[in-house]
Amino acid sequence: MTTLRALWEVSLALCVLAMLALLVLLLARVLSARLFDRTSAVRQRLLPLLLDGDPAELEPLRKGELQAAADLTVEIAEMTRGSEREALLARATALGVTDLLIGRLRSRKAQSRLNAVEALSMFEGSHDYVINALGDRNPDVRLGAALALAQHANAPAPIDIVNKLNESAEENSLLLVSLMVDLAETNSDAVAGLLFEEDLSHRVKVAAMDALSQRGGEYAPLLAYMARGSGNEPELQPRIFRALGRTGHPAGAEAIMEGMASDNWIVRAAAAEAVGKTRLVAAADRLSTLLNDPHYWVRYRASEALLRIGTRGVSVLREATRSEDPVVRSAALKMLAEGRA
Amino acid sequence: MTLDFAILDPAEWMVASAEAIALVVIVAGLLQIVFYFVLLLYAGAALGTRPPVPRSATLWRRYSDQAPAISVLAPAFNEELTIVESTRSLLALQYPDFEVIVINDGSKDGTLDRLVSEFGLEQVDRFVDRSVEHAPIRGFYASPRLPRLLLVDKENGGKADALNAGINCSRTALFCAIDADSILESDALLRVVRPFIDEPDLTIAAGGTIRIANGCKVDSGRISDIKLPRNFLALVQIVEYLRAFLMARVGLGRMQALTVISGAFGLFRRRQVVEVGGYSHGTVGEDMELVLKLHRLMREAKRDYRIDFIAEPVCWTECPDTLSVLGRQRARWQRGALECFVKHKDMLFNPRYGRIGIVGFGHILLVDVLGPLLEVLGYILVPLLWALGLLALPWLLAFLAVTFMFGVSLSIATLVLEEIQLRRFPKARELAVLAIIAVLENFGYRQLSNLWRLQGWWQFIRKQQSWGTMTRKGFSTS
Repeated sequence: MTTLRALWEVSLALCVLAMLALLVLLLARVLSARLFDRTSAVRQRLLPLLLDGDPAELEPLRKGELQAAADLTVEIAEMTRGSEREALLARATALGVTDLLIGRLRSRKAQSRLNAVEALSMFEGSHDYVINALGDRNPDVRLGAALALAQHANAPAPIDIVNKLNESAEENSLLLVSLMVDLAETNSDAVAGLLFEEDLSHRVKVAAMDALSQRGGEYAPLLAYMARGSGNEPELQPRIFRALGRTGHPAGAEAIMEGMASDNWIVRAAAAEAVGKTRLVAAADRLSTLLNDPHYWVRYRASEALLRIGTRGVSVLREATRSEDPVVRSAALKMLAEGRA
Repeated sequence: MTLDFAILDPAEWMVASAEAIALVVIVAGLLQIVFYFVLLLYAGAALGTRPPVPRSATLWRRYSDQAPAISVLAPAFNEELTIVESTRSLLALQYPDFEVIVINDGSKDGTLDRLVSEFGLEQVDRFVDRSVEHAPIRGFYASPRLPRLLLVDKENGGKADALNAGINCSRTALFCAIDADSILESDALLRVVRPFIDEPDLTIAAGGTIRIANGCKVDSGRISDIKLPRNFLALVQIVEYLRAFLMARVGLGRMQALTVISGAFGLFRRRQVVEVGGYSHGTVGEDMELVLKLHRLMREAKRDYRIDFIAEPVCWTECPDTLSVLGRQRARWQRGALECFVKHKDMLFNPRYGRIGIVGFGHILLVDVLGPLLEVLGYILVPLLWALGLLALPWLLAFLAVTFMFGVSLSIATLVLEEIQLRRFPKARELAVLAIIAVLENFGYRQLSNLWRLQGWWQFIRKQQSWGTMTRKGFSTS
């Protein structure tokens, strides 16, 4: 009986506790609404200061105003570029915004640290703080710092950034590709060098390949070389073939042709897609044999590639419309119809 | 000898039986409550340590280059009143690479004609997959002016069938299943895709929060003013949805034991969904069943994977505000859960399925299978037995604790979590109203809800398959 009564009493106590907590939050909400009104007024007052005037005439703001100024600076900076942004950042520095952002790097909230890192990367002279953030305990902040650094000409070497990122846990994000793309803008050879680092994960290398492929045919021979060496790695091959396709360069023709004969349907589909993107006319006959592949994606990519490679491909498709195999016929007919549409 | 007499004494035997019944009801209720509190803790931890949540503009800047293409599948059946507005809203989503596939599931009204005329669509041909089963497709409609839109007209086969047709027609690695009459927040795709960007090799599905749009103002297919509805049933459902999404799904997602991603908004990796045969026919719980099939596939193949739940991306939906429609919906949900449970019962407490077998299925057993039966039994018997003098007052108080008081504290605690972590209700007054509703729902509504669930049990036993009619009033427009 004591237990049963205790259950009742505990339930009552929990109820009261939960209600009290909500009451406190409700009061806090009412207070914060008033604070919001005050902040809005401060923002309105600060906006002209940030948008116009000589930075030398500005004086550092007090803490309450400074927070509003920092938030406002970041919001406007995201919408501006070039000299307009530089002038804005110079005024913000004069108001003391950079000091506040540096302070925010020590915040307990990862969101605050990430925002601070991204904002600081826009200011001249804050480079070291952003580099330090590469060692942050939160992986999102580390990646945010890396992405911010990569947009600058004086970014650290790609291998150093990658090593920092992977120090505590391997970074798996697709944003690695964005990072590599930005790094390749200023130092594409160093990004290409990552492909030859033995200790680096496939994920980083694939991201580097994706980034290099976006530079046109410049690195196509290197990618073709990587493709030839990836024969026994069916998980990597589709990404490499897609990268090769993106270059639009025929350097990888041999590897792509081999890929179309792979046992793995994902590899076959990626190779067929690459044929279409690089317009390998010589692969038209090989593509026609994929029109009766057991897997839809291979048939689709093959027929799409035939359409892309032009006259020769279209004539192969037209021939396939007369095939006795209903699967081949259907693939050719539908793709030709799509092409007409 | 004395003991024998005591056992055979009818009065004592009746008291012992009454206490045994009360004990079963109380222990089952207590187990549910303990489980819910554990979920609440997990949800708190998940929200407290979730990745930083950037603003929409930052989200776009950061993710737009790498965000994988998505096909948004919107099955529509007799939606002529809302389909044009819904499709416009889908086409205006902020996402770098997506296509909208509206599947007209053999509507008997003017859904097809309205879409064709409003968007200037023409009949086209399309090379589509045949990997998952569905009723025959009658035609495809598209327009070069709107390359993102594809209309698929097919024979009626139900929502699961329509989604399967959409899966076959999609040409992207990911697809997002939604209800055509729901409203997605413009950046919902950018937010829900995050697990697929962060862990591209592991994530196979992700769900997002559903919120109730009753009472909100809608402008050009967007929620322009978040307001609480005036209808009591709609208000109660807001509290229910908060508990279901903010506590249960965030918590289960954190445990990696999520057993359902709502059919109104879920993002899936197409390849794995095709591997499990797409959505199942012949069940009203097709959304839950798909997630269970995905767990089964990955566990049996011993492949690492993740199925996540993200609290931020929001899909707005209109909820029933009449007892009859709500009752039908709840009975159907109950039936769906039971169908899934029975179909996959071999996963229950089976170590081969890890935490899905133990936590996920334990949750279904406790909450969906046994929950309504024992709770209704308790409502009838415990007060009656107490009134007859067969149960002492503490038994009644313990029953009231597990059925009312803990329920109230859980609901209020969920509101506290919402306010600390998400703050999605613009005004303090709204939070106060919901707190009052969280108390009131336990007196009358909760009991009624359990009766509807019993009705679902009955329909399940009789193998009833119909969906029932969901009467929608449409969103209020400004």
